[in-house]
Amino acid sequence: MLCDRCQKRDAKLLYTEIINGIKKEQHLCEECAADYTSFQMEKPLLNSELTLGDLLSTLLEAYTTKGTKETGDSKPDIVCDSCSTTYEEFLQKGRFGCANCYRSFHKELSKTLKGVQGSDVHTGKRPKGFISDTDRILQDFTEIERLSLKLQEAIEKEEFEEAARLRDLIREMKKEETNNA
Amino acid sequence: MLKWYEQTAQDSDVVISSRVRLARNLANYSFSNKLKEEQAAELVKEVKTITSSLAEKANRKFYSCNISTLSEIDKSAMVERHIVSPLLAEKKQTTGLILSEDETISVMINEEDHVRIQAIVGGMNLEQAYEEADRIDDIAYEKLHFAFDEKYGYLTSCPTNAGTGMRASYMVFLPALSAARMIQKLIEEVGKYGVTIRGIYGEGTKSLGSIYQISNQKTLGNSEREIIDNLNRIVTQVIKQERKRREYMLSVNSDEIEDQVYRSYGILKFARQIASDDAMTLLSQLKFGADCGVIKFDREFNVHKLMMGVQPGSLQWTLGKNVGSTTRDQSRAEYIRKELPTII
Repeated sequence: MLCDRCQKRDAKLLYTEIINGIKKEQHLCEECAADYTSFQMEKPLLNSELTLGDLLSTLLEAYTTKGTKETGDSKPDIVCDSCSTTYEEFLQKGRFGCANCYRSFHKELSKTLKGVQGSDVHTGKRPKGFISDTDRILQDFTEIERLSLKLQEAIEKEEFEEAARLRDLIREMKKEETNNA
Repeated sequence: MLKWYEQTAQDSDVVISSRVRLARNLANYSFSNKLKEEQAAELVKEVKTITSSLAEKANRKFYSCNISTLSEIDKSAMVERHIVSPLLAEKKQTTGLILSEDETISVMINEEDHVRIQAIVGGMNLEQAYEEADRIDDIAYEKLHFAFDEKYGYLTSCPTNAGTGMRASYMVFLPALSAARMIQKLIEEVGKYGVTIRGIYGEGTKSLGSIYQISNQKTLGNSEREIIDNLNRIVTQVIKQERKRREYMLSVNSDEIEDQVYRSYGILKFARQIASDDAMTLLSQLKFGADCGVIKFDREFNVHKLMMGVQPGSLQWTLGKNVGSTTRDQSRAEYIRKELPTII
């Protein structure tokens, strides 16, 4: 039976109203009942969570399958080696299984994140005392190696003045090193 | 100590509160959706151990509990006051909460992410809300090993939260813009800048009493500072538009508005039964009238506190028992009559 008010959704409850002795009965859907009466749907807040998850997963799938749909199931599914969540499962649920999933899905993830977030690189806060893999590698570098890396970066960014300065600095340091030896 | 909704604050004619939420996960547990019950219980226990360091270092009293120990009334009152999310209150698994005495800071445990740190302050002040949440995050990190990746930042259960893990939001009161049916347009407009507008209790909920939440959509690629700055720019514009619209409404319809505001007062002051949606609408008109100076009261009057007090959970919490809807409507009317100031 359709709702007496909106005539669109299924009626879920019978609402009886008695005003000045005149009895009026209406079959209402949940939405109209919530609007028209003091009837409150059970847990109205949570319903939305589900639909959002569904929506997100369709979005995720749309972002990742774009252009990669070639020969159907030829691509083997990626599995997280820590919690065994598959990439397929991630796309369906829109949820990672554990922190390690980020590493396991690394190859596919950049594209997904760019699609959802417009970026795949964090530029905000780092926890105090956090040492990244890059930091760790850099720690073992000599000063000259570190400067050479910066030089490379400057050239790539076409910051030639800075590059020249770094080049001279490195030359100087190398000269000093040979002198000391 | 005053709770955030009891303080007087900056720009409170439009901005009710500022809230920051940081999502964090512990590296040594599966994410919440893959967590088994035993691990969930362990996780809650582990996170709760930070309570004493928080009390020591953040200069406040903190309480911790398992959500399952709370009554249904407690839970819904906490959802209405934005202390916990609906998801946390409903979840079947073991979940926990650490809460500061003034209700400014709450740490939800085993929500969608393992840890969700939240700070709320009154008025327009995201900076302070962030500062508070950031400090709690630092203190927590001393004991808890949060999953963080050099490239992706803080790792979260849902990719829409990764990076900063931060959702910053303003709760705003937009009676004039919503009366002019301009909210939909506003939603489209701010969407271009990565900002969303939603109902009072977040995702998918409808707006009550012209109250909306404005928050950042993206969490990755911009720093916390940039996210807050962007939101501030937009909310400043929204405030301007709302105030302009209010002025306009008053200039063309002042008699009608005055009548409406006084009628609302009359109903609130004398009604014997009132439903919560009705109460919200009328209180919202009263706040509008008070902010515009159409109506004046004999004392400082915090409409927002009342708006939270009339919600079903909060009301039953005050009553100390679960009651049916008719009794609830009666006690709501009684509560409003008691709290309402006198007109001068």
